[in-house]
Amino acid sequence: MKLNALELDALTEIFNHGVGQAALALSELAGEEVLLSVPKVEELSKREITDKLGAQGANRICAVRQGFSGPVNTEALLMFPVDQSLRLVQLMVGDDFPLAQLSEMEQESLAEIGNILLNSVVSSVADMLHIEFEGSLPQVELGQVADVLHAGSGLDDLILSLQINFEIASRQIQGYLVFLLDVASSDVLEKKLAAFIESLS
Amino acid sequence: MNAGFFPAPTDSRLPVWLDWVLSNTQAGLLLLDAQMRIVFANKWFLLRARLTADQVTDGVLMDVFPVLKGGHFERALVKAVRSGFPALMSQTLHPSPFPLYAPAGSRANDALMRQSIHIVPMGPVDTALAGQRFTLIQIADVSPTVARERLLKAHADRMSDLVHIDALTGIGNRRFFDESIAAEMRAASRSGASLALVMLDIDRFKQFNDLYGHPAGDRCLQAVADVLKRVCRRPRDLVARYGGEELAVILPDTHAAGAVQVAKEILQKLRERQLVHADNLDRMVVTLSAGVCATQPVASDGPELLIQRADQALYAAKNDGRDRVFCFDTTRQMAMEA
Repeated sequence: MKLNALELDALTEIFNHGVGQAALALSELAGEEVLLSVPKVEELSKREITDKLGAQGANRICAVRQGFSGPVNTEALLMFPVDQSLRLVQLMVGDDFPLAQLSEMEQESLAEIGNILLNSVVSSVADMLHIEFEGSLPQVELGQVADVLHAGSGLDDLILSLQINFEIASRQIQGYLVFLLDVASSDVLEKKLAAFIESLS
Repeated sequence: MNAGFFPAPTDSRLPVWLDWVLSNTQAGLLLLDAQMRIVFANKWFLLRARLTADQVTDGVLMDVFPVLKGGHFERALVKAVRSGFPALMSQTLHPSPFPLYAPAGSRANDALMRQSIHIVPMGPVDTALAGQRFTLIQIADVSPTVARERLLKAHADRMSDLVHIDALTGIGNRRFFDESIAAEMRAASRSGASLALVMLDIDRFKQFNDLYGHPAGDRCLQAVADVLKRVCRRPRDLVARYGGEELAVILPDTHAAGAVQVAKEILQKLRERQLVHADNLDRMVVTLSAGVCATQPVASDGPELLIQRADQALYAAKNDGRDRVFCFDTTRQMAMEA
């Protein structure tokens, strides 16, 4: 898949609508305002994503994974450097943790936060591009970026990637949301996107 | 209700073990139809909700459990049913949405059960088959996990205390000092506040030990630490044993003048204790020397220079005759008597 500037703009708009919905839900949950934004949508190689997360000092990341199936099959992954995932849960729960890692119960709350975000984003894709999806429950994974992305051989494969900025109580947390798509699903998505852009003009 | 999709339990097409499986599943199961009416609740759920099947079946969920109305659970449920995407509600963010209790007769039966909830609406394919979207709510009891994690954290807190406290004096140790001064430097550079450090040393402590023995030396250190704790009472003041007979006080939001005042008060309060020290020249009691330095750090500053200057002031106080406070003057770049 190689999306043009117009298609990437359309996706940015759709994703921003989705994270807007998620921000409302997360604000209700946190009891204070949570701001979310998607500065840009890009197609990046797994290598570039690994480098970007590495630049934040993260060899190990914490990810929330959810599969969506239907005409478009995708694995959606919301990824944070481990220390950022700790801070996010800490800010949402309003608690401090003496442990250096998320406990089982805290991992579950990260799964809930990721679930809200992923469901909202995929919902707006479903609504605006008219694609029906079957969803699944979220899973939390900890590990090296390359392992979580199943990079293995295809380090140069392009994947649809969004940087997501969280702002809670004037603190900033940065995460990445990527969609792993097979070739057939990429084709369907591109056709639906073209139809969506057509309908706007 | 859709009789085609959900035949009565007596229907011969259902395997006989299905009812048995549902009754013995060790998690709560609730099935809702598209109008949010309860179609089915399993035995595990009914037992912990302290209700019978007749009291819940065909009732609208929010009427049967009014406590759910307008809360996070209702919002999550509505969103899941609308989008068709499963949702998770974690115990940490919502401890106990449903009024569920341990089964009657159990020891902790008055505490609300800690719950981890999965809301699974039918996807588009099954919804088409069933003629409407049913939603399954699964509830797991995570109370034991919560109790275990609480215990683990209490241990972690205790370990952290042990690692940071000086066993003899009960004030912070060198590790605590190093971590605290670095953290306070960062905090001061963010807020633009002044940070002061006081370094203190017991005068002629070696002679004290030689004369009275090490157990008496230990008691002397404990007495000095006690004076420091009593004088530095603001919530953010930090008192630590820097090493041997050297102690340190970190004073956030404090200028040099304020820190000098604190140092002088410490020296005075210790003199008033009149701990006998026959080999402290002509003073005859235990005394302290102190060095003070204050700074308004910028983000790139480490604590090294602040520590070095406070130390420099302390040694100037020693060289000047002990039992006095010197302060590092940042304009003249030298330690002066305060």
